[in-house]
Amino acid sequence: MENLHIPATKETPEVRLDPGSMSFHLVGESYPENAMAFYAPIRASLQSFLEAPDSARGVQAHFNLRYFNSSSTKLIRALVGMLHQKAAAGVRVIAHWYHDPEDDMMAEFGLDLKEEFDALEFNLVASETA
Amino acid sequence: MSHQPNPAPLSIQPSRPAREIIRRSTRELLIPVPPITPAVTNEEVFRLFEDQDQLISLPVVEDGRPIGLINRHIFMESLARPFHREIYLRKSCIAFMDKRPLLIDEDTSIEELSFRVLADGSKVLADGFVVVRDGFYRGLGLAQDMLAALAHLQAEKNRLVMESIDYGSIIQRSLSRAAREGMREHLPDHFLIWEPRDVVSGDFYHFQHFGDGFLLVLFDCTGHGVPGAFMTLIMSAFLRGALDAERCRDPGALIGEINRKVKIAMGQFDEQTDPNAESHSDDGMDAAFCWFEPATRRLVYAGAHMPLMLALPGADEIVTLDGDRHGVGYATTALEQTWQNHEMTLPPDSSVYLFTDGVFDQLGGDKRIAFGKRRVRACLTEHRERPMPEQRQALLAALSAYQGDEPRKDDVSAIGLRV
Repeated sequence: MENLHIPATKETPEVRLDPGSMSFHLVGESYPENAMAFYAPIRASLQSFLEAPDSARGVQAHFNLRYFNSSSTKLIRALVGMLHQKAAAGVRVIAHWYHDPEDDMMAEFGLDLKEEFDALEFNLVASETA
Repeated sequence: MSHQPNPAPLSIQPSRPAREIIRRSTRELLIPVPPITPAVTNEEVFRLFEDQDQLISLPVVEDGRPIGLINRHIFMESLARPFHREIYLRKSCIAFMDKRPLLIDEDTSIEELSFRVLADGSKVLADGFVVVRDGFYRGLGLAQDMLAALAHLQAEKNRLVMESIDYGSIIQRSLSRAAREGMREHLPDHFLIWEPRDVVSGDFYHFQHFGDGFLLVLFDCTGHGVPGAFMTLIMSAFLRGALDAERCRDPGALIGEINRKVKIAMGQFDEQTDPNAESHSDDGMDAAFCWFEPATRRLVYAGAHMPLMLALPGADEIVTLDGDRHGVGYATTALEQTWQNHEMTLPPDSSVYLFTDGVFDQLGGDKRIAFGKRRVRACLTEHRERPMPEQRQALLAALSAYQGDEPRKDDVSAIGLRV
């Protein structure tokens, strides 16, 4: 399993998968015209990341998103769902969901995920946007 | 081999295509510059360039096939070097020619030509390229003409696409005309915001009056633009198909029915849980469905990931009812998914508001974060006593001020009514 790093573009977030620290990062904005095409390979990479033997040590996921469109919403939810499955299988998976203290939409979405995917250790992190 | 410096005056000025002429192949850019043969001396080339100051490049052809291109400036500079006149003037013109000019078959499309020109680098931009048919010389082409043709082609394509989308917008607007007329007839104080991000919208609405009440629906399909608009037509058709004088009273059941129809029609099933799933799309909608009976003042609301806001007389706070979390029609939404009805009796002079997430999620402000429900509620609180059309203006003004220079991210729609 190798490092995966997809730099951010105007319409897509930065994606990092680091097998060394067993961490996953999704940072930025997400509104590609074809969200399915952008997220399909990320789903595949996250899948093999979660299937790697090292993942038994525990996984950290960081979601630091400012904006995503409705088609990205579905796919981001699916990524969280994959983490949830791993957690449900007994691995400690910690998800950090960052939002600006004033961003009630991002906080609400995080809260939604926290309720839906209850096997995860889900941290809602209110942090000032840089 | 004939000795033929061509005396005919030739115009090698870029041939500006008339606005209405759309050039699609390299043939249409061809300028029939009379070529010279290797037997022509540099002295003759020199004279040709001197006599014809429009001549940028001179093609050299042997047995009908191009073997090189002489660039005016390179030629003149080379000849000006010390002793070069003496050495080269009487020699063959191949001394200073570019032996590898870009050769383009006349049937090459303008688009492919542009890629070849780009790949070949800056030389072609200055010298032009040689147009051939089956390897035989036909003429010269200029990068400048190619750019003009490309620009026109692009403009033409844009025009066709925009005309097509503009017409799509007429179709989409006609489909909601009955709803707008119904709202005007039955809702004395209401507003409608329907602002497509790109001409056509992934947001849509429906209003229908049935004897003792009316059904009001706002929905937001995945995506925006053309695919979003496609989805609104599909959803609209399923909504109309499922809607009758009984079902309109049970918004939750109505959403469930539409969910089933969409999933089956579009084959949208979860690949994780359904081995037979073969879905290539995963599209659906968020929606708010409201049934209201004016006589009893009974409101029934069911929401699929779309809230309803209420301004009730005597209550300071705007009440937000969150609908169910599940969207309608998506692969991951179960076929038998149900949506809960929320029922309440509204006191007279209550206001009901529906918004698509394009309103809540619009980025803006100093921090570039979402407009959010909080700001929407603050705006409603401030203006709730005013007539609905004025509230509309206030909402749009607040959103626009917040948005600032940030681009519109999504379609924006909202409905407000006082009952």
